Amino acid sequence: MEVSQVRYFLALCHTLNFTRAAEICNVSQPALSRAIQRLEAELGGALIYRERNLTQLTDLGRTMRPHLEAMVVAAEAAQAVARSRHTEEHALLRIGLGPAVSSARIASAIGSVTRRNAHLIVQFDEGSTASLAEAMLADRLDCALVPDQTDLPERLHRWPLYGENCMVVLPAEHRLAAKAVIAVDDLVGETLLIGDRCGDFAERLILACGEKLNGQRFGGSWPQMLDLVTAKVGLALLPEGLVAGRALAFRPLAEPDLGRTIVIAMVAGRPQSDAVLNFVKLCRAASFA
Amino acid sequence: MPELGDHLAAQRAQQAQEVRAAYEAMIRELAERDFEDEILPVGARFPDAVLPSAEGGLVALAELRASGPLIVTFFRGEWCPYCRLTLDALAAAQPGFEAAGAHLVAITPETGGLALEARRKHHARFEILSDVDCGLGLACGVIFRTPEVYRSLLLRFGTDLAKRHGNDAWFLPIPCTFVVDAAGVVRWRFASLDFTTRAEPDDVMAALAALRTT
Repeated sequence: MEVSQVRYFLALCHTLNFTRAAEICNVSQPALSRAIQRLEAELGGALIYRERNLTQLTDLGRTMRPHLEAMVVAAEAAQAVARSRHTEEHALLRIGLGPAVSSARIASAIGSVTRRNAHLIVQFDEGSTASLAEAMLADRLDCALVPDQTDLPERLHRWPLYGENCMVVLPAEHRLAAKAVIAVDDLVGETLLIGDRCGDFAERLILACGEKLNGQRFGGSWPQMLDLVTAKVGLALLPEGLVAGRALAFRPLAEPDLGRTIVIAMVAGRPQSDAVLNFVKLCRAASFA
Repeated sequence: MPELGDHLAAQRAQQAQEVRAAYEAMIRELAERDFEDEILPVGARFPDAVLPSAEGGLVALAELRASGPLIVTFFRGEWCPYCRLTLDALAAAQPGFEAAGAHLVAITPETGGLALEARRKHHARFEILSDVDCGLGLACGVIFRTPEVYRSLLLRFGTDLAKRHGNDAWFLPIPCTFVVDAAGVVRWRFASLDFTTRAEPDDVMAALAALRTT
């Protein structure tokens, strides 16, 4: 497979017109057609329906398109390093963090990127998954770590990074802290804090287990939730791996399984700076275990 | 000391008939498509990629080659027995490469911490870099899509490349080793469509020696 073949195919996806795709790529139409044929042989089937008045992607073409887009972006980054090193003096890396997604797990990846670019400005933005998706589409964010949801817009590429279990957070001296694992029945009579930006662990538990649990709502994110647990206002349900550094205990919840998968998402097909591309690659290459 | 080729041949002899048939068909198909014409030739400029290292850093190939010849080898992954033998042979040959002032980097499409796992298992002192989405591999012309038959065979043996690569494109590199000089030019190359044959470390050493005398 060659970079030019992939580039021609992507131009064709965009235009659905052989003549215009050839113009964009600055090659003759027969050369473009030959390259597409070679790519089709390579990928094991037709990518394009060629009908008289209609050029359309086949199922295989549609399936391969996002992969080929990602691949050509990575290949172009590999070929363009020397150029961009000079043009990225004021680069930004704008990272969205979904509900109860901590920056602790990605901190070392950020360090690897800033070591290569001392001028880079890293910016975090917390928000709901929907608002972060909107910010990415509007180019106010480069990428975001969010819980995997089926309703993420199709224009966002997403890659799973890690899974995390649901933990019950309680004061270290609480009677339940003596237990290794906490069952739903242990929580009867306790107050569960329901934060609006804390992941929806408590809501989902109350939904699953009915009315035997008491909830207390508040607007805030996980650091405030931890403060409230420390002050014995109630217990919290949060993902594992949050750094607390206070007199708090984290105990896994036995059932139901409220675990979630965190993905990294970014807009498909948008040109990105090397800092952004390298950050996403580092996250995908890393082990979060 | 037995050569890597001997170990690979022994491994090949153990191969089940079904696996052999699938891989022979795959190699035949690549050969029919003139795949080798697309691979970066001797004399071409090697891309100055920046890739994630096994430990979570960023490694710039241009910085490595500035201080001595750079050996870049593409491998499929730790799941592949031929790659495992190759990584062991490279780890054993590493002192020789270092004595010649060369840097060795091994490139894999694997993600999710698998590069680190490979590095630990094979006691590799050289860098193992993740070519996420096969971008460097594409720029070098070494990437192909695994055919359906081979894909289902891998799945049956528990190797899910979609999971390992973090995308379900099922792209793999052919085994390829490049020796790149300080100016970033490919000075020697080993390429094979047959993933059961690899560059012999002694041949890489000879290429490094030839580089010094020119």
